[in-house]
Amino acid sequence: MNDSGPGPAKVEISFAVNGETKTVRSYPMERLLDVLRRDLGLTGAKEGCGEGECGSCAVLMDGMLVNSCLVPVLQAEASSIVTIEGLSDGETLHILQQAFIDCGGAQCGICSPGMILAASHLLNQNADPTVEEIREGLAGNLCRCTGYSQIVEAVAEAARRRTSA
Amino acid sequence: MRSNPSDYEMTALPSLHSTVSLLAREPGVWLPIAGGTDVMVQYAAGKLPARKLVSIWNLPELRRIDVTASEIQIGAGCTYTDLRRHAVVGHEFPLLRSAAGWTGGIANQNRGTIGGNIVNASPAADSLPALLVYEAELILISARGERRISYANFHTGYKKTLLAPDELIQTVCLPRRFLEYYSHTRKVGTRKAQAISKVAIAALGRITDGVIEDVRIAVGSVAPVPLRLKDTEQALNGRAVDATLLLLARRTVAAEIRPIDDIRSTVRYRAAVTGNLVVEFLNRLNLAQAGAERSEANDVLAQWNRLPADEAINAVLPCCGSRAWAEGMVARRPLADEAELLTASNETWRKVSPSDWMEAFRSHPRIGEKKPVMGSSAPGQSVEWSSQEQRDVTDADAAAKTALAEANREYERRFNRIFIVCATSKSAVEILEILRRRLKNGVETELHEAAEQQRQITELRLRKWLQG
Amino acid sequence: MNSERIVGRSVPRKEGRDKVTGRSKYVDDMVLPNMLFGATVRSQIPRGRINKITFGPGIAWDEFVIVSAKDIPGKNCIALIGDDQPCLANEFVNHPEEPILLLAHPDRHLLPKAVEAVSIECEALPAIFNIEESECRSEVIWGENNIFKTYLIEKGDIDGVWSKADFIVEGEYTTGAQEQLYIENNGMIAAFDGAQGLTVWGSLQCPYYIHKALIGLCNLPAEKVRVVQMETGGAFGGKEEYPSMIAAHAALLAMKSGRPVKLIYDRMEDMAATTKRHPSRTRHRTAVTRDGKILGGEIESTIDGGAYLTLSPVVLSRGAIHAGGPYHWPNVRIRATAVATNAPPHGAFRGFGAPQSLFAMERHMDRIAEATGLSPIEIRRRNFLRTGDTTTTEQVVREPIDLGKLLDRGLEISDYHSKKKRFAIQNKGGDTRKGMGIATFLHGAGFTGSGERYLSSVVGVEGCADGSVRVLVSSTEFGQGTKTVLSQIAAEALGLPYDSVSMGQADTLEVPNSGPTVASRTVMVVGKLVQSAALGIKQTLISSGLLSEAYSADEFRAACRRYVSEHHQFRSWSRYEAPADIFWDDEKYRGEAYAAFAWAVYIAEVTVDLTTFSVSIDDFVALQEVGKVLHPLLATGQIIGGVAQAIGFCLYEKVVWQNGRMQNNQMTNYIMPTSSDLPAIRVFFEELGNVYGAYGAKGIGELPMDGPAPAIVNAVSDALGVHFDSVPLLPEDIMDKLDSARLAVAAEEADVGGGR
Repeated sequence: MNDSGPGPAKVEISFAVNGETKTVRSYPMERLLDVLRRDLGLTGAKEGCGEGECGSCAVLMDGMLVNSCLVPVLQAEASSIVTIEGLSDGETLHILQQAFIDCGGAQCGICSPGMILAASHLLNQNADPTVEEIREGLAGNLCRCTGYSQIVEAVAEAARRRTSA
Repeated sequence: MRSNPSDYEMTALPSLHSTVSLLAREPGVWLPIAGGTDVMVQYAAGKLPARKLVSIWNLPELRRIDVTASEIQIGAGCTYTDLRRHAVVGHEFPLLRSAAGWTGGIANQNRGTIGGNIVNASPAADSLPALLVYEAELILISARGERRISYANFHTGYKKTLLAPDELIQTVCLPRRFLEYYSHTRKVGTRKAQAISKVAIAALGRITDGVIEDVRIAVGSVAPVPLRLKDTEQALNGRAVDATLLLLARRTVAAEIRPIDDIRSTVRYRAAVTGNLVVEFLNRLNLAQAGAERSEANDVLAQWNRLPADEAINAVLPCCGSRAWAEGMVARRPLADEAELLTASNETWRKVSPSDWMEAFRSHPRIGEKKPVMGSSAPGQSVEWSSQEQRDVTDADAAAKTALAEANREYERRFNRIFIVCATSKSAVEILEILRRRLKNGVETELHEAAEQQRQITELRLRKWLQG
Repeated sequence: MNSERIVGRSVPRKEGRDKVTGRSKYVDDMVLPNMLFGATVRSQIPRGRINKITFGPGIAWDEFVIVSAKDIPGKNCIALIGDDQPCLANEFVNHPEEPILLLAHPDRHLLPKAVEAVSIECEALPAIFNIEESECRSEVIWGENNIFKTYLIEKGDIDGVWSKADFIVEGEYTTGAQEQLYIENNGMIAAFDGAQGLTVWGSLQCPYYIHKALIGLCNLPAEKVRVVQMETGGAFGGKEEYPSMIAAHAALLAMKSGRPVKLIYDRMEDMAATTKRHPSRTRHRTAVTRDGKILGGEIESTIDGGAYLTLSPVVLSRGAIHAGGPYHWPNVRIRATAVATNAPPHGAFRGFGAPQSLFAMERHMDRIAEATGLSPIEIRRRNFLRTGDTTTTEQVVREPIDLGKLLDRGLEISDYHSKKKRFAIQNKGGDTRKGMGIATFLHGAGFTGSGERYLSSVVGVEGCADGSVRVLVSSTEFGQGTKTVLSQIAAEALGLPYDSVSMGQADTLEVPNSGPTVASRTVMVVGKLVQSAALGIKQTLISSGLLSEAYSADEFRAACRRYVSEHHQFRSWSRYEAPADIFWDDEKYRGEAYAAFAWAVYIAEVTVDLTTFSVSIDDFVALQEVGKVLHPLLATGQIIGGVAQAIGFCLYEKVVWQNGRMQNNQMTNYIMPTSSDLPAIRVFFEELGNVYGAYGAKGIGELPMDGPAPAIVNAVSDALGVHFDSVPLLPEDIMDKLDSARLAVAAEEADVGGGR
């Protein structure tokens, strides 16, 4: 897998991002977060802490919410990644994105990409969560602006809209 | 990010076999990395000395759970999410399922593995106390073969284990013999979620004929390693849980643990709280086992505790009107007294969703009327209580009643449901004033105010219900 | 004419779509061609003389741009109120993490090792780390006596009250440092070319503060410095003054290298090196009558400013003015002092001195209640300011605020009385204790006293070529809704649809100086100027004959387009004018401190777990009078967010200091609440209007920071029957206090028994 020769070398890694296959040439220990942001121009995922505490780097990897600052890009080989940029359908917002706008779920917006993906992951596992389940599902995503209430309402509202749609 | 990726080599081999072969060729050179939730944090801080890593993420041989008649075999590469989702883990090993649920947030649970938790060997690691009381055994694998060892002595010192430099943990085996035990676990972190533990307890116990037959207690974050409190267990076995025993327990626990001051907490706190947690466990163990003999303060409650679930739901439904609330209450049985009942009610009410609130609201008649609005199937008891609660309103004069009816209609136009207020000992005039004030509320605010009123109504009704 | 009102409705956030789709561009999302990355070499010691700097082996130093104090073209200081804070330390360092050198390199990943390879040899000097050490002056580290600033506020005859008192109640209250913890770290990009000059882009609150700092530092004329705000991921005051420092660093690297430089902090650096809330100590001594009336008192308030002056005088000022709370003090003496220590300078953080002094006041009221035998409710009710009363600075309360009624409403919403009754029974046994706590308080919006006059803010409204309207302000959006609300105001003033109005990026090349985005002034003060500037646009169109008095949106658009095509530019300006009836005496610190106060009643219900000593908040009611709610969703969001931060301040956020350096500078160990830790915070508003604010609004951004900590600590004290006087209040602290209380009772009982 590595090039021959002394020392670490870059490797080719392929994975799907928002439905498109991408191939990058990276050091295997590049963080998935940096590859997405710097090499693929997908700056929606943010670095808030670099230690997997704040969740602002969260993406979906094979349908599972992960903190991309803790994923070495080699481990993303052959996986399917969804970032915030992949959530809307062209100009049509995802039901969660619309609910976040309607309920005040985004203030400064820096936590929003990770938060919305975490909410999307939650609703995929549990279509009708209680308030407590929403709070638990988002507990790994820190927000300093909202105090969470309007985020929780946005997720509950999105769940309601989905079931009544 | 304080490390340079170009300084690091990482490889991922297609099988467990090829991985351990690599480790055998160059022992101590390649650091295995699974989900990375520990390794990558050190890396980002510029504190990862290893320069070569081998990824064991998602190796199928490691990420599996097998159940035999006598044990459950959990692959070391299973994530916390895998553990949380597994039916047998949830049913027979609740201490482990709880630990998996409070390790980090969802994203870290999707990547962190039980093997990683063990090998990282932090004394604060969440799963380890559970593994100790469940008497886990580990299957370790290397190019030299497999060996199976008891987990009890795996940790030899702070962040030191019995794992050889060319070995991996392949499987964590837990014997399936704890179904009859009372289990109790609690994590005391710096906050409710996504926290490193300050103190943690995992415990199992059985009381037979009034005395402790078998008790196992393990604690985290109070020694260089996760600690099974063997001396304390020995002191407790064969004895009844009473005040003297609890005092003895505190003393033996204090002598066994070795907590420190660190950036998260203090020696004094850890020592005191560990004692408190053990006492809490023993009290609950006692209560659970002695449930049938316990004198209950209240006949209504005692009877209700013993009803089959659907009868119990119907019995308590008139107090609130929300089925989800009634189900939540029933799930919390047995409840010992009025205080526990009301606490359970408030906590349950806080957890139900706004659509459950609406269901509760619909079970009430309009203020000033006797029957609930059309389409609701409120039980007769609910209707009777409503009329008692509205006594002061029904006695009001015609002018007040008219004004109230008009205000109700305005409220319904604005908010699309009836006005909910805890009417007991409030006159029509007072209710009217409250209604008018609340008409000015925003939609969300008003929903919450109505929910709070419903909570108060529910409390009042529960009290009446207890009086028989 | 659009008959539907826009102000007062929850219209969609202007930049909301970009934020939820990840399209918003924050500074680290921007890349410029040929860009270098920067890093900062910082002091490892709290105080000393720099003797030698060595560049260690193993680094290709010739590839690096290196900047030291000697490279500074202008004055080596970050201009703010004083000029004592160097941009780069030259001979002396006065706090850990003080910047000494700057490095830049094209490869971001080479910087951490390079920073570590620079060795700074220092001769350590004795350092001081807290208020007491600063006061005792065994080491003088700033000025003559370690004192940055003092204020004295006196009203009435304070010395005469003691003899008339039935009770004299004393207390000392302390608050710790708090990290703003915006989720986006500080960052800047700077680019310089001889012709165009210097441009910086970054995460910031106040573009013109940075502009002023860079002119002096870089020795450039005003028109050769341009500051542009990027989307900013949270600020809370933490990006009020600090960005001038990081902008200066990026600028110096850009000027030296001739290439754009991106300088972004990681979380560890941001937490350790940048500003925090001023730690405080407040002492109360109060004379009270038998029926609970405050006759007068002395309040001594001291804040720790860290190593340099920065904004400490202003934080001190606000703290001092709020120290008396919403109560009537017939006589009072408030002595406020800001002192120096060898910590990174403390700075602006939402509330800006008021959370500290109001914590003390509200805890002290509960103590006074206990001393007089009155309830916490009654003691407050009897001392509330009423219309016609004067505050501690002798400002007359002119509006018809009825705090007693506000309190009653709060008690009803929170079901206070029946909960207290129930808890009295419940608390007799079991392993939890429940309590209720109240805080009643006020917060003055806008700059203090003559501050707004001094700022002399200017606002522009522009008619654009396509007929739309643009608001031109240096006020920034960082989540609180600036773009949305200022657009609402302009749209309302012009009778146009909300979608016709926008607010551009805050770029000093494009917008006038409408003052800093601080002090809860944006909606109230700047918004009012937006209103008048908008009316100016309308007037111009009408008086030029292009528009009639009554017009439709389409007609406006057409008229605007015509005007622009004729005149090429169409802008209307409005400059702040102090109201004629606002007087403030800077010397005696007396008069109308603020154009408007918002008033609040916060009530907390808590459970203390006696097994773990942790506190959970079961219910929180935030009720406030705010003039007018211009955007219900945003206003509610501001209150909830502020309450959440204050809950963190109260129960979770402890800065662990060692020799002036923050030890727990990671998110794992500096604990802010998650969604699982907070209850649903219930928010309620009342509206009395405000003649000095846009559409009657008062500032509300900082108000919610003042009340939660004392309300919660009052509740915990109520639950446990023991006084707690410090925040953060951790379970460890609760346990320690309970232990000492238990020991004290046991000792008393032993004494009583011993005599027999």
